[in-house]
Amino acid sequence: MARIELSGIQKRWGAVWGVRDVNIDIADEELIVFLGPSGCGKTTTMRMIAGLEDPTEGEVRMDGEVMNDIDARDRDVAMVFQGYALYPNMSIYENIRFPLRMRDVPKSEHDRLVREAADMVELGDFLDRKPGALSGGQRQRAALARAIVRQPQVFLMDEPLSNLDAKLRQAMRVQIKHLQRQLKITTVYVTHDQIEAMTLADRIVIMEGGLIQQIGTPDEIYSDPANTFVAGFIGAPPMNLIEGRIQSGTFVSDGITLPGTGITDRDSVTLGVRPEDCSVADSGHLAGQVYGVEPTGDQTFLTLRIGARLIEVKADRDYRSDLDVTETVAFDPGRLYFFDTGSGQRIR
Amino acid sequence: MASTRRRKGDSRMIRYIVLGSWALFCLAPVLWFLSIGFRPRTEIITPQPIYFPTFSLDAWHMIWSDWPMAAYLRNSVLAILGSVVIDLVLAIPAAYSLARFRYRGREDIGFYILSTRMMAPAIVAIPIFFLFRNMGLLDTIWALMLIYAAINLSVVTWIIRSYMLDIPKELEDAARTDGASDLRILWEIIIPACLPGIITAGVIAAIFAINEFLFTLLIASTKNAYTMSVALANFTGGSDGVIYNAIALVAFLAFVPVFVVVVAIQKHLSRGLTMGAVKG
Ligand SMILES: Nc1ncnc2c1ncn2[C@@H]1O[C@H](COP(=O)(O)OP(=O)(O)OP(=O)(O)O)[C@@H](O)[C@H]1O
Ligand SMILES: [Mg+2]
Repeated sequence: MARIELSGIQKRWGAVWGVRDVNIDIADEELIVFLGPSGCGKTTTMRMIAGLEDPTEGEVRMDGEVMNDIDARDRDVAMVFQGYALYPNMSIYENIRFPLRMRDVPKSEHDRLVREAADMVELGDFLDRKPGALSGGQRQRAALARAIVRQPQVFLMDEPLSNLDAKLRQAMRVQIKHLQRQLKITTVYVTHDQIEAMTLADRIVIMEGGLIQQIGTPDEIYSDPANTFVAGFIGAPPMNLIEGRIQSGTFVSDGITLPGTGITDRDSVTLGVRPEDCSVADSGHLAGQVYGVEPTGDQTFLTLRIGARLIEVKADRDYRSDLDVTETVAFDPGRLYFFDTGSGQRIR
Repeated sequence: MASTRRRKGDSRMIRYIVLGSWALFCLAPVLWFLSIGFRPRTEIITPQPIYFPTFSLDAWHMIWSDWPMAAYLRNSVLAILGSVVIDLVLAIPAAYSLARFRYRGREDIGFYILSTRMMAPAIVAIPIFFLFRNMGLLDTIWALMLIYAAINLSVVTWIIRSYMLDIPKELEDAARTDGASDLRILWEIIIPACLPGIITAGVIAAIFAINEFLFTLLIASTKNAYTMSVALANFTGGSDGVIYNAIALVAFLAFVPVFVVVVAIQKHLSRGLTMGAVKG
């Protein structure tokens, strides 16, 4: 129920950079996911939206209104903290109820709302316990329940499912998405889990080193990466990045010759190709020796060695092979990416 | 293999023996007091060893009938409780401010507060006497409350502050985003989370206050304000000589309330109430 704009946001503690330059326009009702390696500034950015941290530079706006000087408690956001931050002296019930009491929600509503939120995270049986008597995953769900118990302008969720097992995580993910669509509350969501990012996000923000690397829909991020960082970060296993050069339109690297790239000649180019866009074929673009085979059940990943380089290929689900057998691999010519090796930027 | 395994019972036995001996060692003076207190006076000063002491309530009757012991006890309890309440009311907000808010001179203020503890009490004794005389508070328990509170305030503040520093900042951040004001956060989050520290500080202040002698002697001149510690001193003189068995009983009476309080709240004296608040 609010549009959030971050413009020229920086955060510095003395010489330490938390966030270098962040500009995002988060639409009303959007679910935006921050994805990036540890320490890239996701939590810091979120805390600035919540009003818990003052930006060193830049403006935070909600619905056009500058929020920099507005206290956290007047911002009407609900946050799931990365470290849970449950109130140790209160039962889980009282923890979940706390925001209702603080925000003057009518008392008669409290019990119903608390139980609904607790049921949603499957914590209904634990309401009498203190946080100290819960497991890590249960605490995390309690923290989530405390955030979703009321309807704020904005949800901020900092890795809210990181400590849950795969099954529960999937169930919670569906719950969160459903709730967010139903309540139409603008949501900022931080995760390390790519599946979570891809399935939840309207748009994904890829961050690194306090800078935004790319903002886009999950499709755009996956199939149109802006630079080598994004290309290498998204996808499991990640995109193969092969350094080489372009000579009269042909990509050349040791062991690989790939004609017809349509790119003007240059000396340092990185070719990117996803494992799923490679296939084992009778004739192809490169040949290498089998280095490893990893069947995962529904698919098999094959690692090939070409000279000193390893390349990941997604093979047929029942592909099996001995080591050091020579295999030929073909690329899907429509799904090749070229990047400038120096800057990492995509060449289009 | 079997010979190197230790049975659980063995180590538990040793533990009990060690702890039991230590407890006996610590409690020995108390038991000795009791045995003196409930013996006739003649048996105490005799140089011969006595193997089967006679039980006597002489001293017990004496302290209640010949001295206003009830008044002394009341004065002690009121002055101590009052001073602890004053200390906590002042120290909790001060400690919170010192632990959390950033402002110029915060470290200096913290040090000034602690430095009040570094001065020898005798230096301020005379000014304090005149101060209370001018306020008309001499020989009242109000003066005792104030002076005990003043003596202990710095230590109480400092102890509570150190407990507050251990509370994760994320807890307050969560409360703030949940919509709580600073006062609410202090009342509903911080104070409960550092309750062990508050109780510890209160107990320490109470023990200091019970043992306070110099200022009490200066301020109190009648049973209006005499406390147990000063009353104790009065038994050592007088025409009857030193009345050891009465002294022992009074000392025991002074000891009991502290003992009871500490036993009653000892589960709060340990840290660990913030357990489960944050990850890891
Ligand atoms: N209070 C602080 N004082 C100094 N530096 C800080 C502070 N908070 C964060 N930083 C630094 O800012 C950078 C970004 O931290 P942030 O917590 O935003 O990372 P993150 O992206 O959330 O990482 P993670 O995925 O591990 O949670 C880090 O290098 C961190 O060390
Ligand atoms: Mg983080």
